[in-house]
Amino acid sequence: MAVALVVGAATAQQADLAVALDRAGGVIRVRGKLVAEALRTRPADELVRVFVAEAGAEAPAVGGSYAGEGDAIVFTPRFPFEPGIAYRVEWDEGAATMTVRAGKVVPGGTTAVARIYPTADALPENLLKFYLHFTAPMSRGEAYSRVKLLDESGKAVEAPFLELDQELWDSEGRRFTLFFDPGRIKREVTPNMEAGLPLKAGRSYTLVVSREWKDAKSSPLRREARKTFRVVPADRTPIDLKTWRIAAPTAGSRGALEVRLGEPVDHALADWMIEVMGSDGPLPGRVELTESESVWRFVPDVAWKAGNHQLRVAVTLEDLAGNKVGRAFDVDVFQKVEKLSQTRKMMLPFRVDAPR
Amino acid sequence: MTRFLFTLCLAASAAMAANLTDSLKAGKPALKSASVLAFGPEGILFVGDSMGAQVVAIDTGDRKASSAAGVELKGVAAKVAGLLGTAPDQILVNDMAVNPLSRNIYLAVSRGRGPDAAAVIVKVDTKGTLTEVALDNVKHSAVSLPNAAAVDAKDRRGQSLRTEAITDIGWVDGRVLVAGLSNEEFSSNLRAIPFPFQTADNGSSVEIFHGAHGRFETNSPVRTFLPYKIAGEQHLLAAYTCTPLVKFPISALQPGAKVKGVTIAELGNRNRPLDMVSYSKGGKPFILMNNSSRGVMKLPANGLDSYKGITAQTDVTGVPYETVAAWKGVEQIDGFDTKTVSMLVRGEDGSLDLKTVEFP
Repeated sequence: MAVALVVGAATAQQADLAVALDRAGGVIRVRGKLVAEALRTRPADELVRVFVAEAGAEAPAVGGSYAGEGDAIVFTPRFPFEPGIAYRVEWDEGAATMTVRAGKVVPGGTTAVARIYPTADALPENLLKFYLHFTAPMSRGEAYSRVKLLDESGKAVEAPFLELDQELWDSEGRRFTLFFDPGRIKREVTPNMEAGLPLKAGRSYTLVVSREWKDAKSSPLRREARKTFRVVPADRTPIDLKTWRIAAPTAGSRGALEVRLGEPVDHALADWMIEVMGSDGPLPGRVELTESESVWRFVPDVAWKAGNHQLRVAVTLEDLAGNKVGRAFDVDVFQKVEKLSQTRKMMLPFRVDAPR
Repeated sequence: MTRFLFTLCLAASAAMAANLTDSLKAGKPALKSASVLAFGPEGILFVGDSMGAQVVAIDTGDRKASSAAGVELKGVAAKVAGLLGTAPDQILVNDMAVNPLSRNIYLAVSRGRGPDAAAVIVKVDTKGTLTEVALDNVKHSAVSLPNAAAVDAKDRRGQSLRTEAITDIGWVDGRVLVAGLSNEEFSSNLRAIPFPFQTADNGSSVEIFHGAHGRFETNSPVRTFLPYKIAGEQHLLAAYTCTPLVKFPISALQPGAKVKGVTIAELGNRNRPLDMVSYSKGGKPFILMNNSSRGVMKLPANGLDSYKGITAQTDVTGVPYETVAAWKGVEQIDGFDTKTVSMLVRGEDGSLDLKTVEFP
């Protein structure tokens, strides 16, 4: 969404003073005969002060620099003026006060939830997280008040999620990671024993993303988003690569390599923790996950060559319940990570054959 | 932000002061976000930058000792908004740290809420005056937080959606400790970074530990930690998001070593620990901890070595605590001096106030 700026009250006048907010130049100009006179004896930053009107009477002046230019004082703010905000300009310690505005924000409301992962309709009781993908960058600082989990009767599940002040976003602000409270998922810790799992097998739930959640331009979402799912028993089984089924394409084609994983996996991790290795290293190509993220497909940028290949899988790949390759979620570890990328990967060989 | 006993701080400064700031070079740090703050010796401010995946050490030059009393400031977010020329709802105060030398209070601020928000450090001096800490030309150095997995992610796709939130940072015995949590795999990292940072550090000097505690526990994220001496040995008290308080010796953070934490307190359900500070009152040591929903807790810190680990199989009682009933909505705490603690308090009307009061 583009913010449309309306000039509005970008100028103000009082007595012999004219104040103008120059949007293009990003400055406020205070002009008048009075200014020229005063500048002869006093510095510019003593004569004019700019404040955010909404910040209250005791707030400090807006940071920036003042310069005298003939019959004008020009204020250049440290950060650009914000549309929709009224700036109070004080002349000579309040001898005159004028307010200018940097324009109006036109309400947008075009951002929406693009997708919620995992996409499956049936999710394990010990589900570890959701990913919310948005169509445009979002605003921080309100995430946990904008999501709720409802049971079948429409009642909100109490405190199901791990709330972190930092909020787990990608660098573009378009993907939000929503972890369940791990204390309630892990066995034999107090929150789990007292409150139990937030999800119960056999029941259905709905994740609701409020329309009130604001995007990076402070506009609410276009519509509410919902994901309804039923809950199946907990998955406490590590990922077992021996159960994966690889269907290799034929040499000379750019057909998709298809790996049936046997269960849905974390789409974000599967996107980069599984690689195809040719004789010269990792093959470039496009990855997609289908069938509720239980099938990993890879289309190479160039045609397959006949010969031995390998699927390289990081052992830190997780399924929907946080079980990793060869290691369940509920285990006891506290150790230094040694060269994660080099040593903690497993290889699954496969052959690409010439067409018959 | 994490604070430690002042005695410790002074001992560290005396030993390290010789060339700590010498390692910092003038210029403009490329700060993408200011997530968490911690002071080291000599007025050096460590800024944990989650979006930039780095820790930046900044020489504040703010070393003049002060014995001023703590300031009270109402509507901190609104005042910061005024200074930065934006609306109060566009200001997020991410962390607060008191400079132990000057008693000036530093705030880690986001100006804006979107991914393009500016990272700003605001100083509140002992008179209550707010100024932006100028970063255009400041002595600094930075270390990137390595993530072997993410490097692979970038290789193939050119970009990665993976980030890591830094949940706490602290200075202890010549190292910066950094706790973090990934936005993809569920792993909690604790990094130990020697300071001064090595020249052109690509993160190779950083040791990464995956945290866990107790049987049936796993990579739980450390929300806040406190370096603390127990029976003469430097420990880390780590408070996890799922509420246990765990201790483990810092000396155990060695390459290849398996470190086992001992759970010494369970601080209640549906609650997140936020900050911890240590202090002493009436000759006795205490730890103060503020929480998301269980208020501010005061824990006696005497004989922390005597507590047996809490496990579900036993009925061991952990460190007892009392809740400071009068203190509500405390979002940030940091020790101001030996007698008082500075706090950012969220009022019922949603305003954020800075207060400095006597330790309970």
